[in-house]
Amino acid sequence: MSKELIRLRDICMAFDDEQVLDHLNLYINDKEFLTLLGPSGCGKTTTLRIIGGFTTPTSGDVLFDGVRINDVPPYQRQINTVFQKYALFPHLNVFENVAFGLRMQKRPDPNNPKKTIKIPEEEIRERVLEMLETVSLKGFEHRRPDQLSGGQQQRVAIARALVNRPKVLLLDEPLGALDLKLRKDMQIELKRIQQQVGITFIYVTHDQEEALSMSDTIVIMDKGTIQQIGTPEDIYNEPKNAFVADFIGESNIIDGTMPRDNVVKMYGREFPCLDGGFAPNEPVDVVIRPEDIDIVPVEQGQLTGTVTSVTFKGMQYDIIVDFKGFKWLIQTTDHSPKDARIGIKLDPDSIHVMKKSRYSGMFGDYSSFSEEYDELDDASLGLDEEESGDEE
Amino acid sequence: MRKTASPRFGSRFLIGLTFLFLYAPIFILIIFSFNAGASSSVWKGFSLHWYGELFHNRLIMQSIYTTLLVSLLATVVATFAGTFAAIGFHAMRRRPRHILTTVNNIPMMNADIVTGVSLCLLFVAFFGGWHSFAVWVNSWQSLVVLPERLTMGFGTLLIAHICFNIPYVILSVGPKLRQMDRNLIDAAQDLGCTWMQAFWKVVLPEIKPGIVSGALTAFTMSVDDFIISYFTAGTSSSTLAMTIYGMTKKRVSPQINAISTLLFVTVLLLLALVNFRENRAQSRSDKLRRGEAVPPKRQLPPVLKRVGAGALAVALIAALVVTGASSRSDRVVNVCSWGEYIDEDLITEFEETTGIRVNYQTAESNEALYSLINMGGADFDVIVPSDYMIGRLIEEDMLAELNYDNIPNFDLIDDRFKNLSYDPENKYTVPYTWSTLGIIYNRDMVDGEITSWSAMFDPQYAGQVLMINNSRDALAAGLFYLGYDVNTTDKGQIREAFELLKNAKDQGVYQAFVMDQVFQKMEGGNAAIAMYYAGDYLTMVDNSDQDLAFVIPEEGSNWFVDAMCVLKTSQHKEEAEAWINFITSTSSSLANMDYIWYGSPNVEAMEEYPAYYEEEYEEELDQETLDIILTPPEILDKCQMYVNQPQDTLRYYSELWTELGI
Amino acid sequence: MKNKLSRFAVPYVVWMAIFVVAPILIMVVYAFSSAEGGFTLENFSQMGTYTAVFTRSFKLAIVATLICLLIGYPTACFMSREGPSFQRMGMVLIMLPMWMNFLLRTYSWMTILENHGLLNQLLEKIGILALYNHITGANLEFFPMMNTPGAVVLGMVYNYLPFMILPIYSVIIKLDHSLIEAARDLGADSVSVFRKVILPLSFPGVLSGITMVFVPSVSTFAISQMLGGGTELLLGDLIERQFLGGSYDPQLGAAISLVMMVIVVVCMVIMNRFGEGEEQAVML
Repeated sequence: MSKELIRLRDICMAFDDEQVLDHLNLYINDKEFLTLLGPSGCGKTTTLRIIGGFTTPTSGDVLFDGVRINDVPPYQRQINTVFQKYALFPHLNVFENVAFGLRMQKRPDPNNPKKTIKIPEEEIRERVLEMLETVSLKGFEHRRPDQLSGGQQQRVAIARALVNRPKVLLLDEPLGALDLKLRKDMQIELKRIQQQVGITFIYVTHDQEEALSMSDTIVIMDKGTIQQIGTPEDIYNEPKNAFVADFIGESNIIDGTMPRDNVVKMYGREFPCLDGGFAPNEPVDVVIRPEDIDIVPVEQGQLTGTVTSVTFKGMQYDIIVDFKGFKWLIQTTDHSPKDARIGIKLDPDSIHVMKKSRYSGMFGDYSSFSEEYDELDDASLGLDEEESGDEE
Repeated sequence: MRKTASPRFGSRFLIGLTFLFLYAPIFILIIFSFNAGASSSVWKGFSLHWYGELFHNRLIMQSIYTTLLVSLLATVVATFAGTFAAIGFHAMRRRPRHILTTVNNIPMMNADIVTGVSLCLLFVAFFGGWHSFAVWVNSWQSLVVLPERLTMGFGTLLIAHICFNIPYVILSVGPKLRQMDRNLIDAAQDLGCTWMQAFWKVVLPEIKPGIVSGALTAFTMSVDDFIISYFTAGTSSSTLAMTIYGMTKKRVSPQINAISTLLFVTVLLLLALVNFRENRAQSRSDKLRRGEAVPPKRQLPPVLKRVGAGALAVALIAALVVTGASSRSDRVVNVCSWGEYIDEDLITEFEETTGIRVNYQTAESNEALYSLINMGGADFDVIVPSDYMIGRLIEEDMLAELNYDNIPNFDLIDDRFKNLSYDPENKYTVPYTWSTLGIIYNRDMVDGEITSWSAMFDPQYAGQVLMINNSRDALAAGLFYLGYDVNTTDKGQIREAFELLKNAKDQGVYQAFVMDQVFQKMEGGNAAIAMYYAGDYLTMVDNSDQDLAFVIPEEGSNWFVDAMCVLKTSQHKEEAEAWINFITSTSSSLANMDYIWYGSPNVEAMEEYPAYYEEEYEEELDQETLDIILTPPEILDKCQMYVNQPQDTLRYYSELWTELGI
Repeated sequence: MKNKLSRFAVPYVVWMAIFVVAPILIMVVYAFSSAEGGFTLENFSQMGTYTAVFTRSFKLAIVATLICLLIGYPTACFMSREGPSFQRMGMVLIMLPMWMNFLLRTYSWMTILENHGLLNQLLEKIGILALYNHITGANLEFFPMMNTPGAVVLGMVYNYLPFMILPIYSVIIKLDHSLIEAARDLGADSVSVFRKVILPLSFPGVLSGITMVFVPSVSTFAISQMLGGGTELLLGDLIERQFLGGSYDPQLGAAISLVMMVIVVVCMVIMNRFGEGEEQAVML
């Protein structure tokens, strides 16, 4: 893509002896939509705060346009932030909230280059109103933040940050407090705004779907280290380890070995695949996406198992199948009754082989399927009926 | 619950009762502030008389001024300090914050009296240290002369108020900080604020409601405080509460009712105003919420508003300081005497003729005066203790020798009042008055005449007797009754006298232990028998329609001299001597004698008084009254003077006195 | 940022050390000193003499606190059920007397309770006095109310009642209404709702109300002198006497203050154990 704008070099961060970031290296390109994705506590918000200047890393460098900015305070960085829960100033109305940053700005006096002047009121007004229009909030200038719905507050927060024309916009789980439908709308809206203003967005979320649908680049983090960096497609299709595979989408992760290139051995059986470059008989993790599995009659199956549960999902059925004690999730449009014996067939390109990592053995078994499903649903909880009603 | 239950008669009735309980006494105060008579329980017609008197009462006006000034200053300081401290606390890690919050809560959780006493002790200790330091500094250099003696006063009062106010501010700012979205500060910085700007532009407006309510609470606490002020203000700056407390120990003037009314009305108006504004703001924001159009608030630009508020506050404080300062002149004399013990016109006269401002205060009893001086709470120049206490003060080297050249009127003092046992060479004192101790009783409430001290211990008068509230006089009643020497140091005899009192007290003989409260009680017929001083009896007769009588019991009694002396610590010795000389003059003595009915030691005054009386009142002074004012020698012969006791006995008195209270 | 701000507290920490901690330490030193300045335990060994004063003070304070609770709790409870404007008005009315000096409030009772004061006049006029004399065969000219322990308790209740009502009210008003609905939904009647839900949940308010009434009551001295006539000393009077009153002995005074402080602190700690975890004081 285009040129590099921000670089994090060997960043370490510790709070009270607890290592939050562990030798983090990352570069971010100009005009890129980059998402930091990971479970809570993975260090993504800390990374964001380091870029924003709210925390100073214990060690390592933050470079902006090639210049080290570790010690530059937030108010001197060309970076603005949309905070979690927005942090709108409750004592100011919408207009004043948006105008806040502009009122703080000083620019050289054209008549006297040694002096600085404030931005003229005229211009502030113009820019604020323009920005409010961009976020579709025209006419709301005199409302106070507590008189706005969640979605509206969200837009004010974005307007407040963007009106300063930053080079980078940081967004810290900005959609977390919104309900599902609103979130979908805002995702599209955000992407539109990013394309319209043409600046770098650094976006923090724990919602993989959000990340996949909006980002140019996704950085997956866990326990203070980067697990994988790549485009959404790369990350989905070629997860580097079991953690990534599990975190992005649904995955069955099975222990296997690589007898030789392009052949993987599971359940004592060899399957053709497209991966190679492993030592002979090296133990590996095998990732198989639930939607890549074909159900076939038992006699044609490469493997056979028993259906233990069937859930109708609208587009497809989620079927849990027990293969010799290890439970797989299969997504299919064909119905199979519970307790039926079925066979499955795996295409070579649906088998992804990964090196063993410290996450091996932690994910991929759907024995506790329902629990996991609940957890996923949590993200869409917290509906606020009043707010969503307000929106239209 | 709130939504479903209809207002029920029962609950409203109970709320009504509570309000009746809270407000009935206040309304009674208000009603009687318009009473033409001096009583707070008998209506004599409508009048604004007491309001007029209130505004001319220097003591009250001065104390209102002190109260307002100290409360305002303390509130301002505490609000600043408390807000900053709260922010600091908030930014700390858990453990230190927890410890500091606990310490911070101490003044709030502690009993006021403990806070007051401990601060008092701190000041006393500091003054002690300062004294040594100042003496040392003054001894080796002469560039700067440090004051060697500090006393409690406005400064200590202010510190104490700030001290108990800050925790309230922290308590109300803290929650606001905790409620505040932590990201707000980051957001402000993100938008270009330095952290100082972030503080002013974002944090401060956010916690403003907390600051305002903290300041209000602090101000309320300051205005309402009595106990802590009492222990830390010394005597030179008394707050309104202290003045009122002083008044309740004496005759309570309906001026107090007038103050109450004014206070109540002021507070009511303030609260109504605040409420009105709140309601308006509420309806405005309700409308906004509903999306209705509201007229834009007509407002001064914020800068002007802020400047305006600041200017107002500064002007208010400045006005207070200026009015306070303007009434101060450089020459001052601090006089401490007893209640109702001077014709107050004399103070004005003295101030007008000499230009020396008189700071006139009163103490309750000799013993209380002694405590006051010893605790470092008093910066008196002239005090008027009684004979035995003078002896003690001389012995403990607390009095200054007088320069009698500055007191030419001393020559007018009758020789029999010079060189008395308490001051044998007459180096320290100029007598002020002399009188006797006796029993005052209400003929309507007592069968027959009282002639003996036994009346003070007689269970038949249970609940009707007012015992005098100082150890020396009270135990003297017992000693006289038992026929012992009133100056005995025999602990057995003193103990016997004490048992007499203790028994009487246990049998409920005493309605109360009082000093100057005796006036109101006897005048109003609220007690039958009291033990008090001859001169005061005449004041009571003058003010009362009760049938009162005075007797010096047959067992004998005490005659005493109250004399003016100057404390060694006095910074205004010359002014003090001018005052003493002025008071000793014949004209002052006559005016005083006429006003307080105590005998003057001035020879001329004693001779001229009957004529003076006739001229003033156009009637002849009857012999009986004159005999009470100037006790004739044959009666005086039966009376004995107190002499100072050795330390050991003094301590025993003190112990017994405490024990009696138990 | 955070650490920078914590520096704001430094001046106040110094202030606290001087004006909060040091005075108490000095008081402790005084309590263990003799008049001549040496170390002694005599001040404490004397304490036994004053047991009666301690008992009396605590007794009166407990009675006053209980009465405040009995009046204050229902008032706060009923207040919370009224309409919002009534509530606002009511709270203002409850707080208003606190703005008048507490000595003025106490003084007002002096004129009411006197032997020939307003209350006795009233009772005489409406015939209650005569009725009482008739029934009991006594021959009273008035009911002696002034200068009795009852008058002192009345003074305490009158002065400190708002301190009981306000914290209880502010806790009750914050109760989640759905809790009450939930209790009703689960079959509780009004009494059970009160007993099982409102009462336990308002406990922190009650605790802080008790503290705010009890502490000033147990240590008061003006009220007892004004309404009690000084015949029965309370702790406050005893302490005041040693410092600024009739018997000068600051060392003894410090010792008594210290003992009182310790007892009060112990009481409060025990009480707070009671209301475990809800130790935050509820403010006005």
